[in-house]
Amino acid sequence: MLETEIKRLIVESLALEDVNPEGIETDAALFVEGLGLDSIDALELAMVLEERYGVTIEDDPEMNARIFASVRSLAEFVRSQGGEARGS
Amino acid sequence: MTPLSRLLAAGGGTRIVAFGREGALSEDRLRADVGALAAYLEPLAGGRVALHCQDAYAFAVGLLAVGQVGAVAVLVPSRQPGALLRLAGEVAGFLLDGEEVPPEIEGRACVSPLALPPAEYTLAALDREAPWAELFTSGTTGEEKPVVKAVRHLEDEVATLEARFGAALGAGTRMLATASPQHLYGLLFRVLWPLATGRPFLRTPILHPEELVPTMDEGDFALASTPLALRRLAERAELTSRAAHCRAVFSSGGPLEAGVARRVAETLGAPPYEVYGSTETGGIAVRQQWAGDEAWQPLPGVATALDPEAERLVVTSPFVSGGEPADAGCTRLATGDRAELLPGGGFRLRGRVDRVVKVAEKRLSLPDMESRLREHPAVEEAALVLVEGPGEPRVAAVVVLTRLGRESYVRDGRRALGRELSGHLARDFDRVLLPRVWRFADALPRDAQGKTSVRALEALVTEGTTRPERLVFEQEPGRAVVEWRIPPELAHLEGHFPGHPVVAGVVQVHWVMSVLEELLGTPPRLTSLEALKFHEVLGPRDHVRLELETEAREDATRFRFRLIDAAKPERTFSSGRGSCRAES
Repeated sequence: MLETEIKRLIVESLALEDVNPEGIETDAALFVEGLGLDSIDALELAMVLEERYGVTIEDDPEMNARIFASVRSLAEFVRSQGGEARGS
Repeated sequence: MTPLSRLLAAGGGTRIVAFGREGALSEDRLRADVGALAAYLEPLAGGRVALHCQDAYAFAVGLLAVGQVGAVAVLVPSRQPGALLRLAGEVAGFLLDGEEVPPEIEGRACVSPLALPPAEYTLAALDREAPWAELFTSGTTGEEKPVVKAVRHLEDEVATLEARFGAALGAGTRMLATASPQHLYGLLFRVLWPLATGRPFLRTPILHPEELVPTMDEGDFALASTPLALRRLAERAELTSRAAHCRAVFSSGGPLEAGVARRVAETLGAPPYEVYGSTETGGIAVRQQWAGDEAWQPLPGVATALDPEAERLVVTSPFVSGGEPADAGCTRLATGDRAELLPGGGFRLRGRVDRVVKVAEKRLSLPDMESRLREHPAVEEAALVLVEGPGEPRVAAVVVLTRLGRESYVRDGRRALGRELSGHLARDFDRVLLPRVWRFADALPRDAQGKTSVRALEALVTEGTTRPERLVFEQEPGRAVVEWRIPPELAHLEGHFPGHPVVAGVVQVHWVMSVLEELLGTPPRLTSLEALKFHEVLGPRDHVRLELETEAREDATRFRFRLIDAAKPERTFSSGRGSCRAES
C-alpha cells in the first residue's frame, strides 16, 4: 500500500530514530506538531519523493503546504501524479 | 541611488517597490503605509518594538515606520514562544503580520504593520547615528548578545553593495530571495538594498525554493539565496530557460559547495557570488567559486588583518557594529574564524575557533544549547556534537540522566523522553537545530585525557542503537548495579528468532562478564557457573537491571547476579552464581 511505503520512506530517508513506520498515523501532521519534522526534512523528503515516484513538487506554496500535511495527503498527491506505478 | 536615511524624505510615484502573490505595491502606497503605521507608533519614540513578518513588504513598512518615529526595531528571529516571552517584558509592543496574536504575548500591544487606517504623517530623513535595528545572531536567542545596527551601518553597507554589485545587477532588476529579512543578509539583500536602488523586491515568503521559478519568467531578476536552497534549485533543469533573465545570484549564510556553485552557474548562467560576513561584522568579503577553495576578496571599504596570535580574522569597516573604534568612522572586530591572508589582499578561511556550528545556515553555539539542556530536571550532564545525516549535518545529543530522567525513560520510553527534551529546547532554538539523535548514557564518554572529546562523542553517536544503552553504573565494594535498555535494533537479536526476537542466554551471561571485567580491571576467566536460570524471555525495548554481588576469595572472585526488569523488579530474566579468576 502506498501509505505504508511512504511511511517507510520517511523513516528511512530521514533516518528517524525511535520511530517505526507503523507508528506514524496516516492522518497525523508531519511537521512541527505530530511527527515533528522540520524544514530540512521537507527538502529531503521532496527530493526522495521526486526520485522514487517521479513526481514534481510544484511552485505553489499553499498547495505544497497541503501536500506535505500528512502521509495521506502525500499519498494522494503521488497517486494524482500517477506516480504509484513507478513506486511499486 | 538614494542614501537609506533619505529614502522617504522625498519622492513618491507609481514605481513598483514590492511584488508577489499578495499583489504589487507602488512607492506611493509604501509612503502611505509607513505614514499610517508611524502615526500609530509615535508614542513609542525612543523605545523598542519587536518586529516579525512573513511578508517582506509588511516587514519593510514596519522597519521604516519604526525608524520614522526614532524607535528601535528588534528583529525577532522567529515566533518561538520562548523568544516572544523573553521579549515581552523588554519591548513596548509587537509588530507581527498575520491574523493571530500568539498566546504568549496576549494582552500586549500587538498590531500587523499593514492593518492601520490611513493617517497624516510627514515622512522625514533619518538621523544617521540613531540606532535602528537590533538583530540576533541567527540560530539562538538565548545567551547571544543582541547586535544593534545604527542607520549609518545599514546605509553604508547598502552603498557598498551597490558599488560592488550594482553594475552586474542593472537598473530596475527584480530581487528574488529565499532569505528572510529577519536576519542581516535578508534585511540588506532582500529589502534595504532594493529599496534604496529602486529595484522591486519579492514580498512572498519562500519555503520550497522551486516556488521562485514562476516569478523568474516575469523579467530580469537577481536572486539572494542560501546554500541549502541553491543546492535544491541547481537540480532544476528547467531553470536553464530562465538563464536569460538572471542577472546575478548571491549566496550567504554558510559555505556553498563548489559543485553546487558550478551547477548554478550552468543552469542560471550566473556563477553565484558567495558573500561572507556575520551579523556583527556585516558583509566582509565575496568570491565566485570555480574549482573549489577560491580566495575571498574583501568588499570595498573593508580591511582585513589577523589578530596578534595570527589566528583569527580581524575586520575593520564602516558597518562593523560592537567592535572597537578605528580610523575614519570605522570599527574593528575579531571574528571567530581562522584565516590565512594571501598576497594581493585576499584570504582563505580555515574553520571556526570555538564550538559554534552551522546547521542549515543557522548558527548554533553548542555550549549554549548544552547549558539549556542541563536546566531540564531529567538531565544531569549533556554534550552535543554535529554528525553527518542523510542530508545536512545534524546535532546529536549525549545525555546523562538524573534519577527523575531515568524514571521517565523507563516509564514513558526513549522516544517520549527525547521528544520532551526537544520540546524543552524548542522554546529557544529553531527546529532545525534541535538534536536529531539522542543517546542516553551512564557517563559522558571521555578520552584518555579525561576530556569529552568530539571524537569520543561521535563514536558513541555513530555506533547507533545496536548496542544496549547503559543508563546506570553504580559501584560500591562488593556490589554493582547496572541498567540497560535493550534497543530494538540490538545486533544480538538478529536471527533470535524470526518474528520473535529474544536476547539469548549466552549474551546475558556475556554482559555479566563484561561488568565483572570493569569491576576487576582485567578480563575474568570463568571457573564455574552454577544455578544458572533463565526465568523470563528478555526482548527488545526491555529495560534491564543487573544486580551483581562479588566477594574476593584468596585466588578467585565469587559472584552472584540477578538480571531483572527495571520497571517491574518482580520480573526476573535470569540469575546465577559462579566464580572467576583474573586472567593471567
